[in-house]
Amino acid sequence: MKGLFPDVASILPTLFGGLQVSLTLTFLSLLFGLPLGLLFSFGVIAQNRAFRYVSVFFVEVGRGAPALVLLQLMYYGLPNVEITLSSLASACLALVWTTAAYTAELIRGGIQAVPAAEIEGSDALGMSMRDRLRFIEIPQGLRIALPSLMGFAVLLFQATSLAYTVAVPELMSQAYSTGSSTFKYLPAFVAAGLLYLAISVPATWLSVLAEKRLSRHL
Amino acid sequence: MVQPASTTTENVIQVRHLAKSYGDTVVLRDVSLAVPEGSVTAMIGPSGAGKSTVLRCMNLLEKPDSGEIEIDGHAINAGEKISPKNLAALRRSAGMVFQHFNLFPHMTVLRNISLPQERVLGRNKDEANTKSMELLTRMGLADKADHYPARCSGGQQQRIAIARALALGPRVMLFDEPTSALDPEVGVEVLEVMKELASEGMTMVVVTHEMGFAANVSDELVVMADGGIIESGDPHQIMSDPQHERTRRFLRAVLER
Amino acid sequence: MIGMQMLHAVALGLPLTILVTVLSLGLGTVLALPLVAGLRSGNRAVWLFTRGIVDLLRGIPPVVWLFILYYGVSLGALRMSALQAAVIGLGLVSAAYLAEIFRGAIGSVHQGQWEASSALGFRRGALWARIIGPQAWRTAIPAYTAYGIGLLKDSSIASTIGVAEIVFFSNQYARQSGEGIFVFFIAAGVYILLSMPLGMLSRHLDTKLRKAVAR
Repeated sequence: MKGLFPDVASILPTLFGGLQVSLTLTFLSLLFGLPLGLLFSFGVIAQNRAFRYVSVFFVEVGRGAPALVLLQLMYYGLPNVEITLSSLASACLALVWTTAAYTAELIRGGIQAVPAAEIEGSDALGMSMRDRLRFIEIPQGLRIALPSLMGFAVLLFQATSLAYTVAVPELMSQAYSTGSSTFKYLPAFVAAGLLYLAISVPATWLSVLAEKRLSRHL
Repeated sequence: MVQPASTTTENVIQVRHLAKSYGDTVVLRDVSLAVPEGSVTAMIGPSGAGKSTVLRCMNLLEKPDSGEIEIDGHAINAGEKISPKNLAALRRSAGMVFQHFNLFPHMTVLRNISLPQERVLGRNKDEANTKSMELLTRMGLADKADHYPARCSGGQQQRIAIARALALGPRVMLFDEPTSALDPEVGVEVLEVMKELASEGMTMVVVTHEMGFAANVSDELVVMADGGIIESGDPHQIMSDPQHERTRRFLRAVLER
Repeated sequence: MIGMQMLHAVALGLPLTILVTVLSLGLGTVLALPLVAGLRSGNRAVWLFTRGIVDLLRGIPPVVWLFILYYGVSLGALRMSALQAAVIGLGLVSAAYLAEIFRGAIGSVHQGQWEASSALGFRRGALWARIIGPQAWRTAIPAYTAYGIGLLKDSSIASTIGVAEIVFFSNQYARQSGEGIFVFFIAAGVYILLSMPLGMLSRHLDTKLRKAVAR
C-alpha cells in the first residue's frame, strides 16, 4: 500500500488528456442530446402517430437498454448497414441517444410540474397555445427539471467511461493502457477514479444546490 | 336573472343557462346573469356555492356542460365546438384577476405585463413597455418594474396582476376572490385600486367575501348557494332585507362574526 | 435460422445477468443500512465520514470500481474472480445510492409520526419496525425498484471484466459473425423485456399500498 500514492501521483498527470476526451464526449452528448430530448418529450404525447411512434421507440430503447449495449450497437453494428464511423463518433451517437431518452422523461416531468396557476394566467390573458408553450411551459418546465438534468449530466459523464470498450481514448482507456504497459493496475485505476471523483462530486453538490435554490423560489 | 340597471345601457356580459357537474356532483344549475356596461356586480355566498365556477366559465377557464356566454359581442355556446379564434377574442375582452395572482414567476414585473401585450395585441416592445410603466405608475409600483414577482408583497403582486390584465384594454374585469389570499391590511390596497376602477366606469364582476365592498361599491349583488343564484338585486336592499332564508342564514354567519 | 442463433447467444448470458443483478442488489441493500444510520447520525464526525464514503462510492463510475477490484486488489496471491469483483463492485455502488433513497424515504415520514410514537411510549425497536419502517418503505418502493432496473442494466458492465452475461455473449457473437446490429438489438430487447415485469410489480405494489392508506 505504501507504494501506491507516489505511483498514483506520477500517473495522474498522464491521464489529463483522457479526462479531456471524457469531458468532450459528455459535452457533445448533452449538446445534441438535450434538444432531441426536448423534441421527444413532446413526441411521446404527440397527436401525430408517426412522430409519436418514433419518439416512443427512441425513448423506450434509449432508457431500457444499457448504455453499454447502445455503444456496442453503434460501434459493431452500424458497419453492418454500411455506416462506418470513428470510435468517437459512434460513442457520441450512442450517448446522444441515451441522453435524449433520459432527458425527454425529465423534461416531460418538469413541464407537467409547471403550476396550473401559471397556465391559467396565460390562458386568461388570451395567449395562444404556442405562446403558452414557448414563454411559460417550456422555460418553467426546464427550470423545474434543471436539478435532475444536472444529476443526469453527472451520470452521463460517468457513463463515458464505458466508451473505452469501443476504443475511444478517454480517461478509462488511458488508465487501462497505462496499467497494462506498466503492470501498475491499481495506481492507474485509482488515479482515474480520483479524476472522475474530482468532477462528479462537485457537480453533484451543484445539482443539490440548484435544487435547494429552486425550491426556495417556488 | 339580474335586470339591467337602466334600460339605456347595454349588457356587456350575458350568461344564459349555465350548467356544469363533475360526475354526480352538480356545481352549477341553470345560472343566468346579465351585466350592464359600466356596472359592478358582486357575487357572494357560502364556499362551494359555485361563484368562482361561474366566473371561470365566463372566460372558459372551465368549460360548462351547457349554456351560452357572451362577452362584448363574442358569443360561445358550450354545446357547440369552440373556435380558438372566438375563444381568444372573448378572453381578450375579459381581464381576469385570480385569488393567487397567477403571475409568471420567471419574468420580471415589467415582462409580466408587457409580454401578453406583445403576443396578444401585437404591440412592439416599446409600446408595450410604455403602457406597462404607465399602469405600474398608476398602481404606485413603478419602482418594482425590474423585480421578480416573488420579491413583491402579496398586495403588490395582486396590483401587478390587475395591471397585467388592464394592459390588454379589456371591456370587462373579472375578479376571483382577489383579496382572499391577502392579510386584511394588505387587501385594502387592492380594494382601493378596484374602487378606483369602478369609479372610472369599468364593468366588473367580483367574487368576494368582502361584505363592505359588496355593500358599498357594487351596483348589483348576486347571492349564490348550491350551484344556483338564489337572490339578486340592489345590494343595500338585499343586505337589509334578504328575501330568501338561505341568504339570511349566510348574511348572519358573515356579518355577526 | 439466424435470429434464433442470436437469441440463443443472448440467452446464454441471461443467468449471469440475473445473478449479478440479484446478488449486488442484495449486497447493496444490506450495506445501505449502516450508511443510512451514518447519514442520519447526530455525531458530526460519523456523519462526515459516512457522507464521504457515499460520495466516494457514487463519484467513481462502476466500471472503475470493477477494474480496481478485479485487477488491483489481491490478497496475497489470491485474486478475486470476475463474478466476485462484479458483485462486490456493483453492490458497493448500489449501497451508496440506496442509502440516499432510504434516507429520503425516512425523511419524508411526517414529523408528527415520531412525536406521536414517542408520546405513546414506543420503544426504539418497535418504533422502527411498526411505525417508521413500513411508512418509509412504502415511499421508497418506486425509487428502489427503479434503482433495481438500473442495476439490471449496469450489470452489463460486468462483461468488461469477463463475466459471461448477456453483453459478453452478444459481443462474442458479433465478433464471430460480423452481424453486430441485430444481436445488440436483440440484447437491448431482452433488457427491456426483463425490466418490464419489475416496473409492473413496482406500480402494482405502489397502487396497492396507496389504496391501503387512501384518505
